[in-house]
Amino acid sequence: MQSHLWRLLSRAGATLALAPAIALAQQPTTITGRVTTEAGTALQGASVTIPAIGVGGYSNQDGRYTFTVPATRSNGQAVRVTARRIGFRAQAVNLTLGGGTVTQDFTLETTPTEISGVVVTALGQSREKSQVGTAVQQLSSKELTETKAPDIMQQISGKVSGVQITGTGAPGGSSMITIRGSNSITGDNTPLFVVDGVPVLKQDHGASPYGGWDMGSVLTDLNSADIETMTILKGPNAAALYGSRAANGVILITTKKGGNTAGNVRTELNTFYTMENPSVLPTYQNEYGQGAAGNFKYVNGAGKGINDNYDQSFGPKLDGRLIDQFTGKQQPWVAHPDNVKSFFQTGHTASATLAVSGGTDRANARLSAGMDNLDSYIPGTYLTKANALLTGDLQVTPNLSTTATVNYIRNVGRNRPGQGYGNSILESFVWFGRQVDMTALKDGWRNSGATNGGPADREFNWNYNYHNNPYFLMYGNPENDARDRLIATVSSSYHMFDWLTATGRVGSDWYRSQINQDFSPADITGPNSGVGPNGAGAGLDQSFAGAFTLQNEYNNETNTEGLLSANKEFGRLALNGTFGGNIRKQTYSWNSVSTAGISAPGIYNISNAAIAPQNLQQDQDRQVNSVYGSASYTWNGWWTVEGTARNDWSSTLPKGKNSYFYPSVNTSVVLTDMMPSLRNNYLSYLKLRGSIARVGNDANPYQLRTVFNGSANKFNGLPQFSYSDVVANSELKPEITTSAEGGLEMSFLNGRANFDATYYAKDTRDQIFNVTVSPTTGFGSKAINAGSVTNKGVEALFSVIPVQTRNVQWTSTFNYARNRSKVVSLYPGVSTIIVPPSPTTGWWYVTVEARQGEPYGALVGNAYLRDSVTGQMIVDDGITQAGPRRVLGNIQPNWTGGWANTVTYKRLSISALLDIHNGGSLWSITNWFGDYAGVLKSSLRGREVDWNKPGLVVNGLDKATCGAGSGPTADGMYHCIGGSANATTITAEEYFQNIFPVNEGYVYNDTYVKLRELRIGFDLPQQWAGKAHASAVNIALTGRNLHTWTKVPNVDPEISYSTGNGTQGVEYGSIPNARTFGISMRVTP
Amino acid sequence: MRNRNHLLVIAASAALIGVVACNNDGLTNINTNPNSPEDAPATTIFTNAARVAVARWVGNGYDLRGTEWVVQHLAEVQYPDEDAYKRLQASSTTPWFDTPYSAELEDFRKIYQKGQAANAPGTWAPAVIMRTLVFSYLTNTFGDIPYFQALAGDSVGSSLTPAYDKQQDIYTDFFKQLDAAAKALAGASNTLGDADPIYGGNTAKWQKFANSLRLRLAMQIVNVDAATANTQIAAALAPANGGVFTSNDDNAQLNWPGDGVYNNPWSDNFAGRDDHRMSQTFVNLLIGLKDPRLFTFAIKTEDDTLVGSDPSFANYAGMPNGLTQATASPYFNDTSRPGLIFWPAANLAAVEGGVGKTTPTFVMTYAEVAFIQAEAANRSLGGLTPATAATSYDNGITASFDQWGVTMPAGYLASPGVAYTPGTPGLVQIDQQEWIALYTDGGTTWSLWRRTCVPNTVKPGPAAITTIVPRRFEYSTTEYSVNETQVKAAVARQGPDLLTTPAWWDKNWNNAAVVPTFTAGCGSQ
Repeated sequence: MQSHLWRLLSRAGATLALAPAIALAQQPTTITGRVTTEAGTALQGASVTIPAIGVGGYSNQDGRYTFTVPATRSNGQAVRVTARRIGFRAQAVNLTLGGGTVTQDFTLETTPTEISGVVVTALGQSREKSQVGTAVQQLSSKELTETKAPDIMQQISGKVSGVQITGTGAPGGSSMITIRGSNSITGDNTPLFVVDGVPVLKQDHGASPYGGWDMGSVLTDLNSADIETMTILKGPNAAALYGSRAANGVILITTKKGGNTAGNVRTELNTFYTMENPSVLPTYQNEYGQGAAGNFKYVNGAGKGINDNYDQSFGPKLDGRLIDQFTGKQQPWVAHPDNVKSFFQTGHTASATLAVSGGTDRANARLSAGMDNLDSYIPGTYLTKANALLTGDLQVTPNLSTTATVNYIRNVGRNRPGQGYGNSILESFVWFGRQVDMTALKDGWRNSGATNGGPADREFNWNYNYHNNPYFLMYGNPENDARDRLIATVSSSYHMFDWLTATGRVGSDWYRSQINQDFSPADITGPNSGVGPNGAGAGLDQSFAGAFTLQNEYNNETNTEGLLSANKEFGRLALNGTFGGNIRKQTYSWNSVSTAGISAPGIYNISNAAIAPQNLQQDQDRQVNSVYGSASYTWNGWWTVEGTARNDWSSTLPKGKNSYFYPSVNTSVVLTDMMPSLRNNYLSYLKLRGSIARVGNDANPYQLRTVFNGSANKFNGLPQFSYSDVVANSELKPEITTSAEGGLEMSFLNGRANFDATYYAKDTRDQIFNVTVSPTTGFGSKAINAGSVTNKGVEALFSVIPVQTRNVQWTSTFNYARNRSKVVSLYPGVSTIIVPPSPTTGWWYVTVEARQGEPYGALVGNAYLRDSVTGQMIVDDGITQAGPRRVLGNIQPNWTGGWANTVTYKRLSISALLDIHNGGSLWSITNWFGDYAGVLKSSLRGREVDWNKPGLVVNGLDKATCGAGSGPTADGMYHCIGGSANATTITAEEYFQNIFPVNEGYVYNDTYVKLRELRIGFDLPQQWAGKAHASAVNIALTGRNLHTWTKVPNVDPEISYSTGNGTQGVEYGSIPNARTFGISMRVTP
Repeated sequence: MRNRNHLLVIAASAALIGVVACNNDGLTNINTNPNSPEDAPATTIFTNAARVAVARWVGNGYDLRGTEWVVQHLAEVQYPDEDAYKRLQASSTTPWFDTPYSAELEDFRKIYQKGQAANAPGTWAPAVIMRTLVFSYLTNTFGDIPYFQALAGDSVGSSLTPAYDKQQDIYTDFFKQLDAAAKALAGASNTLGDADPIYGGNTAKWQKFANSLRLRLAMQIVNVDAATANTQIAAALAPANGGVFTSNDDNAQLNWPGDGVYNNPWSDNFAGRDDHRMSQTFVNLLIGLKDPRLFTFAIKTEDDTLVGSDPSFANYAGMPNGLTQATASPYFNDTSRPGLIFWPAANLAAVEGGVGKTTPTFVMTYAEVAFIQAEAANRSLGGLTPATAATSYDNGITASFDQWGVTMPAGYLASPGVAYTPGTPGLVQIDQQEWIALYTDGGTTWSLWRRTCVPNTVKPGPAAITTIVPRRFEYSTTEYSVNETQVKAAVARQGPDLLTTPAWWDKNWNNAAVVPTFTAGCGSQ
């Protein structure tokens, strides 16, 4: 039976394959020509191919291309030759392969928004955009290198509709990226990243809000200058072929290739030099200095004087009177208005990427070397990144080609700024004396505290109670980290038949990183918070000579893939099919060693530990096996239907229940091609598309069985175990996201105006999460499948060329996205989930929650106590009162958008990008504590020189005057009957310090507009460029984050606490994004 | 050639499916957790759970930064938000409700199950005693709490929203549990050994601890259920059950290694904070009694110019509780810090000579047991008569001096204010001495004070947000999120979820007919 089937299949295949070969004319055909723009300039890097037989080449810097169709495949048939380049409309002509040389030139028209052209889609397939039934947006190399940001994610901010990026602001720090809202309540909401067909690691090393150092996401390792295109597959529909990792969308990155340069060498150069400073700093008051109740006198900075232990600024008026200070006795008490600003310096970044490439029709290669050096605006912070990328293509035989890529990255950080409570540099300025002379701190931080009456074993400071000298914070506890990373892929493709190609690919991404954190025993706060991914760190015992934590991390993901792809045209019908399988293996290993005390000073080695070291270890393995396939047909170039299917088997789900299947279907119709009569002077292009897809997500490893956790510390040498706080679930199943989308693409006035819009609706159910259960169950949470979150929204991209003359062109692009999320259901009996890592008690009482019936990401905190009828504040002894907990805001923006404009005049171009974030809420602890501590200008309200006549009367009802029957109401408010207006006067200090613990007044509407990018570029004359063997040399002035328009006071409204789900919409002592100015030179081959 | 390609296509496809789709059962073997075991010995769990429980209730935040302000052993000199009860509201105290359940209580349950399975009372009975101790802190702090349905989150079909049980029912079960534990411990073999950081597994001592705790809990309910208190005191003291502590050798205490990792929790706190001062309430009481324990409990003020009426107590001063920030800060140099024995060698305040890392934490002491016996005798409870009250009272004071390493001056027990007087004045003396002896155990002191109103100088400070000393703490905010129905049912039964709402055993607190030591205006601003 089997052999019979075998024979039958063989015969059928042979017949299909051999049929066209009968008429074979055994002679090679060389196709050559030149690709130019409408303006007649040479167009380099255009691909000219015969898709049907999979041969082709690239144009060189003169726009010339040449390739040869081997004799075996030049059989006199008519083929369609297509020339494509990103940013230009593809053009196709019919040719006959009859042997000899055929010359064919192409003139390509620009398409500013790529309404047509080639896009990269799932599994790295290049497709005509007109035939894609899902929303994709592609960025070109140019768009990614207009300006320089340390993180490639920041470089796409504002450019892609529906993509939201928030960062922690730390130099080299991490960013959180979400596409079309958050699907998963507690799981990963960030997209999958695929570089040259291989998924890469995206492990985040954001700081814990309670301390630590932000090491950034490993995505920062990628060099934007090496990227040819970045394609954003915005939802499950476009990404369905990626199965269990597609729910949050996929970002496909294609790196630059050597191309056929007819043996010539091409050189590319991308250089930046930028200067940076903080984009936003708080507005401080400069009228009152350190102290409390208007009094201050320094003796030892810890309470021996008058209020010299206080780290706040409700002290005497800064009127020049003589007061004992940390800098000496009887010093003039004056403001140092720039004391915070002067702490920061002008940062510098020097960045260069040099690449050489070249090749023939058989082989090509590109080697690039890049280096970024960042000397941050925060003193002491240095980051360097070195990057080398080698790509090679080889046509081994006419039917066999191979590609290999090796990317090595070394990422080194020194003294990254601490984050969160107790370590953050900006937090140390929230609790600050406004009279403090920063120069004295800078000059003296190495000295002993004894210098000014403080403890001899602490560093010199203005205060010895709660905070470190900011210079000590940056230099006194040296931090060093390094990550070595290798991303390598090798793939081979074999043309079995004209219509069928088999590809095998292995890709692996490895890195090892080490983080070294030393603590000086002089540290005033005695750091006890963890650093790094698993919160390692034994703390510091100041009776010893110092402490340290050393962490090592290893991470690897390897994907092995086999793929068969078929393309066949039957007249007007083009068929396309793929079938493949993949094995993904992931190995993660982390360990740390730390001690709270070392013996000999300066030797941060574990053999020098005076206190028993703490050792921690985490290992994790997972594997997912997959088979997948897709089939599509295109009728007459204007109607395409595609179906995809994928099955995954995951190691992390229970045996027998770990297989899951994801189908999708999409279609697109180019109406203007179907009915050419639709086309007129105004409407040039109209396409409709639609898609339905289902994708899923497996669990994290080891969630099926409850365990006992061992302690890293031994008690009197004895081991300690504790039953896990999380109840495992042996019945977990994959979570499922179902998504439908429909879209419209239009082009008007021959491409002068383009419009692309999408509506989508997603529903993620059976989510795997650790639901917070009543702690009285003995557990904090339980792993479950439950709940449903929907996200519905629209995305639109509108671009127009208002002016286009011989010398002047103005292009304007606006993108818009609006997402509405809703937590439809949770677990039975559970109406809200506090989203980790938000503590159940909140970030100073504000929790980030998924509340049933509300949008994901409610900020829930303490409101003022108000009268339940009139809503007036209830005031007791002149002081505001804390009322019930309620929803104070939501992290989700109303809408986001970006507006990009480019004006070109001859060789000069000016482009600007505005990034717009409308709505959403931000809980700003900097403002809250900044008022409490009296350092912000806003805390001047109600201050008086004469402390006997303080100045604030809160507008509200005096609780003491509320009559009989008054009292608390069921909703936690207060019913005040017949109360009279409050008339008690209190000091500003009493007012601001008694707002605590009410959060209500400090949750802001997080609307902002940022001038994200500004670039003024100049192309050197062609003949000059020619001398440099380049097609263009561009010199530009660039700027990022130049201005922020917002009503959020004192902080960068774009910043979040960390990159976890439950830290969004929360800010404390965050480092603002850098404002950068720079100059760049770009040499395009 | 074409045929070969064919074969390749088919072979490749077959290989793909074969490699990927088959043998996926083996795939799940990868998911065996390499980091943590699915089982662990009861001994290793006990070491951790006992340490965690002791540090939490008699050391860390609940004690040092919570109840010690409330009972006014200590006062807060900087940012005095806790001392004014502002940061003793639900938003701050939630972890004290939440964490014990998922940390030590769940672990004691596991130890109990393992001990039962192994038929080892030397293992399960100490777990029962520790669990009862922790639950007693919880119910004394919050009132009605989940008890009978609690801690079963990993059992199939168990409720994820346990009901709140009445404090009275919980106390009834406490006595049952301690009775069973004490009986089982009689002659039981030592199965915990060194893994027990309190008694090294000594079952005779655990038996005495069970009875002593039973004695404490019995006296706690005397204002609402004198009959049960009477029978339970008698049962606790019954020699047949093994008896209570008879000397400081029996004390339940945790000796800290002081190795830099596990230190006395107070000393860890003082390493980096200097906002604790002795309360005026406490210092004035000790000076009034000329009690030399003050020299151990406190250190002299920074300012050495303060000479009080008694020169031998010069430069010891307490600070008032519950001040505003502005009024608190002048006390910084003029008031005493907690004693040297609580300070590590290196600390922020440069207090010299500290040895605090290894200072033991006292969980329950003979002194307390003696004072409860004295009170029972004074009130003729549990079969005791007033005749033995003076002896027990003197034993308690002597034991407390001894416990803190303080030499008692000759004739001290006969000195004015110290010498025992029978009747209600003696009751006040007993409760007052117990209040002193319980220093460092704020939670137990708070329960004692609420029951007795002694000393009656404990009053909310001027900046306090309530006009009476808190009678309980508010329920967890987590519970309002995830166990809303049950917590609201408890509130409906018990009264508004406020600091001022008394729980069951506290409901007669201001009824002088029931509480003999109550004085008018006690605990009110």
